[in-house]
Amino acid sequence: MHDVLTTCVYCGCGCGLYLHVEDGLVCGSQPSRHHPVSRDNLCVKGWHIHESVNHPDRLTTPLIRKNGVLTPATWEEALDFTAQQLGRIRDQHTGKAIGVLTSAKCTNEENYLLQKFARTALGTNNVDHCARL
Amino acid sequence: MPHASATTSSHLLKKDHLKGFLRKLAKEYRLVAPVRNRHNDVLFTVIDDLDAAEIELGEPPQNSLKQFFLPQQERLYSYTNTPDGYDFRPTQTTIPPTVYFGVHPCDLSAVLYMDVVFSRRQRDPFYLRRRQGSVLIGVNCNSPAPNCFCNATGSGPFLEMGSDLQLTDLGDRFLVEIGRAPGHALIEHWQGFFSPSGDKDSAARYQAFLEARGRFSRQVHVEQAIRQLEAGTVPEQVWEELSLRCQDCGGCAYLCPTCTCFTISDQQLDATSGQRLRSWDACTFGGFTAMTGGHNPVQAKTSAIRQRFLHKLRDDVRQNGRPSCVGCGRCVSVCFGGTDIVRFVERACQGSL
Amino acid sequence: MTNSINEIENAEVILVSGSNTTEAHPQVARRMLAAVDRGARLIVIDPRRTRLAECAHLHLPLKPGTDIPLLNAMMRVLLDEGLADDLFIEMRTENFLALRDMLNRLDLEETAALTGVPLPLIRQAAQLYGRARKAVICYCLGITQHVCGTENVQTIANLAMLAGQIEKEDTGVDPLRGQNNVQGACDMGALPNMLPSYQGVHNEDYREKFERAWGMRLPEATGLSLVEMTHGGPQGPIRGMYIMGENPMLSDPTLNKVEETLRGLDFLAVSDIFLTETAQLAQVVFPAACFAEKSGTFTNSERRVQMVRQATQPPGECRADSEIIMELSARLGYAMKYGSSGEVMEEIALLSPIYGGMYHDRLEQGWGLQWPCWDRNHPGTPFLHKYYFTRGRGHFMPAGHTAPGEAPDQEYPLLLMTGRIYHQYHTGTMTRKSERLTRECDHAVLQINPTDAKGLCLRQGEPVRLLSRRGEITLAASITDQVASGMVYTTFHFHEAPINQLTNDAFDSGSRCPEYKVCAVRVAKVAP
Repeated sequence: MHDVLTTCVYCGCGCGLYLHVEDGLVCGSQPSRHHPVSRDNLCVKGWHIHESVNHPDRLTTPLIRKNGVLTPATWEEALDFTAQQLGRIRDQHTGKAIGVLTSAKCTNEENYLLQKFARTALGTNNVDHCARL
Repeated sequence: MPHASATTSSHLLKKDHLKGFLRKLAKEYRLVAPVRNRHNDVLFTVIDDLDAAEIELGEPPQNSLKQFFLPQQERLYSYTNTPDGYDFRPTQTTIPPTVYFGVHPCDLSAVLYMDVVFSRRQRDPFYLRRRQGSVLIGVNCNSPAPNCFCNATGSGPFLEMGSDLQLTDLGDRFLVEIGRAPGHALIEHWQGFFSPSGDKDSAARYQAFLEARGRFSRQVHVEQAIRQLEAGTVPEQVWEELSLRCQDCGGCAYLCPTCTCFTISDQQLDATSGQRLRSWDACTFGGFTAMTGGHNPVQAKTSAIRQRFLHKLRDDVRQNGRPSCVGCGRCVSVCFGGTDIVRFVERACQGSL
Repeated sequence: MTNSINEIENAEVILVSGSNTTEAHPQVARRMLAAVDRGARLIVIDPRRTRLAECAHLHLPLKPGTDIPLLNAMMRVLLDEGLADDLFIEMRTENFLALRDMLNRLDLEETAALTGVPLPLIRQAAQLYGRARKAVICYCLGITQHVCGTENVQTIANLAMLAGQIEKEDTGVDPLRGQNNVQGACDMGALPNMLPSYQGVHNEDYREKFERAWGMRLPEATGLSLVEMTHGGPQGPIRGMYIMGENPMLSDPTLNKVEETLRGLDFLAVSDIFLTETAQLAQVVFPAACFAEKSGTFTNSERRVQMVRQATQPPGECRADSEIIMELSARLGYAMKYGSSGEVMEEIALLSPIYGGMYHDRLEQGWGLQWPCWDRNHPGTPFLHKYYFTRGRGHFMPAGHTAPGEAPDQEYPLLLMTGRIYHQYHTGTMTRKSERLTRECDHAVLQINPTDAKGLCLRQGEPVRLLSRRGEITLAASITDQVASGMVYTTFHFHEAPINQLTNDAFDSGSRCPEYKVCAVRVAKVAP
């Protein structure tokens, strides 16, 4: 049983909150008292942030569409197939035919890596996210 | 209140020896104490490494013991769908015997209240399996925080009973009073750490109590508000003003050490199995009283807020002889809009004092 | 934000425009209410009577899309009444004469009539703002999600500079960012025209710097924006897409076009934590780790870069997005090998000047750092534009009224605005999995004024059809005077009532931000 300080993923306020972990499961959250934004409280979304982490609907295995249906696959299959498809489009039409959406919910490091991937491996500046939505 | 009763024997524990005593305890118990972490927050924490933990007995911790006995989300049962219906099995959890060290009087009073809720009329096995085997070591509060008002709710700053051992900080030493048998057993077991206390120490304890009582920065007229609620004379505009400013976060109920409302929900995991979860709930949420068909007997926000304060300050006084607010002040600093219990008491008493 | 969130608490006047702060940014609203408790004046500019508007001293219920005339009228009042900050204008700005001439040509009565706000109210607001020693303007998507979004923002900047309400602590212009890391995603160069740290792709020097670091020639031409990518149609320029943690199938305007486009792709891969509406269209779906299962940083609205720490292991076979990207990149012939997110951040610090001093070991201490943070010893920057603007002098950009992309007419007589509610977040991918949040609010409602409802013989809660030129949805009517007659309002969180099937994909040519705040609709009863 322990608490891990992290940053809330709902909205741009960026509250500091503790995730309460028991037996490897996140089973609660609470605000940080001294964090400059959360200052001892969270909004209703922050207080219930753990509920989506453990949800049974979480995706847990890669899926590939086979005969029109998304079907569980191995990581190797999914990665190989994706790389092959993106590579084919890049080689046939250049990178201009590939679009990449990064995420305002993912970390800075992941966003950095994905735009770098788009601009180098795929050779395209078609990279954006839902900044305006 | 302040004088040690004749039957309780009291001892001294030098501050230099506290860590050694805790180290002994940690060998036989899981140890939970308020720890100031590297982010400067003070939380009740399970201590794995006593030398790395900075135990903080002055500043009240931001969480109470509630989450240890009634976790925010707890799996009560797992179930399988069988042809004959559902087959429920209680989740197995082993909670090690735990010493809760450094519990302030407000939080101790709150645990006693929760004990009443979860064991007096109906025994709640899930609460009790976490609560049983726990040892409470309290520490009287020498320095109430700015939002504290336990003096107005009869739950501090010093407490005579309720814990297994009760400590009072007397500068270089703690006065240790035995509250219950498990406390007595601890002292018996590790006699070497303790020495007998004398009249001088009792006098110092009384002096510390008087000083602590003088350190409250708020005068909160809880009793007056209780009388107003009992008489039904709280002006309607007070509820309206409070509800307009409530931002519906639920933080007051979640941080409150005596708010014990919960909701039970079933979560299907796959086609043949699922789990039954219990999680904290707050009476100020609109959905708290909503019924399956859509009807909600508590229609307006004003009614929900009224319900909250009636429960804490009127109904619990009727039932238990004292309010279930323990004056810890947690809801005061958390509130987004200013709908906390202190603001309520101030508004309700405006003009009547 | 030019300020920190806590500075709002100390302002004397808070002007909020196009932000439903209590619902979308509760922590910011908390500071506003605290400021009001201390005697600050609160001015809310919003077509709807929001909760915050009810707490305000002045509420200016403007007609949607008339922000520029309203702000221009306020500025004219400042000029007329000698409330402009002449010293600030002289020392710190340029192009003032163009603004002054434009304002002096305004007919105040006419301009006020255009906005629907009585002139005395506008005057009062201008006086309050102009006379304050410390005033902040907070704005949100109500300003930017218009065809003239860029000009709206520039006009807000004009107002702040004219009154000299910038450059000081507790004083400034604060756009509230919607999502937890939308600021960071922009900072990281997840934009078609910008490399990390807002270094334009068209600039040869910047490109060269990244080419040397990344060991590869980089494309020069500005790429396509999100709406251009997702609205190209089945024969559009985009043939394959990789989407990480986004759900354009619910969040983008004119959803029918998005669906057509995504279905028409040769290949679509999506990485997400749940099977979103977008993932359902993909050929490959990757199960991603969520925030509690990985480490890294987010950047909040006040530019504070903060640690995200792993609390638990990902379920099943989930992997962090960074791992997935590295695996793909290696397979596509560009190996990227990073041992940790901290190592990625070292590269970011190397190449992005405003993140120059951001290292994980520093961010681990305290509460993160606010950019710009130029080097390891830099303490970060709580408020921007002290002594000088980034570009040197502040440039006044006078703007006139631009009509919305679509106006109500006989066929579609009502004006639709969209927004967010408190209990849900964006497309509901996470919040709708939360038992408590869904209990509190799990369906879309259409706010409609009692007069309009009466005209249609609607009852409270009755399901209604909402139609625009682009689509139709059914949702429950919520009859309330929070919206004025002639307007309706709803949210975009719910896939059962995907409001973006109706919204217009007209967008601002500068920011390429779609006009979610105005489109023409009609309400009809559901046939019995």
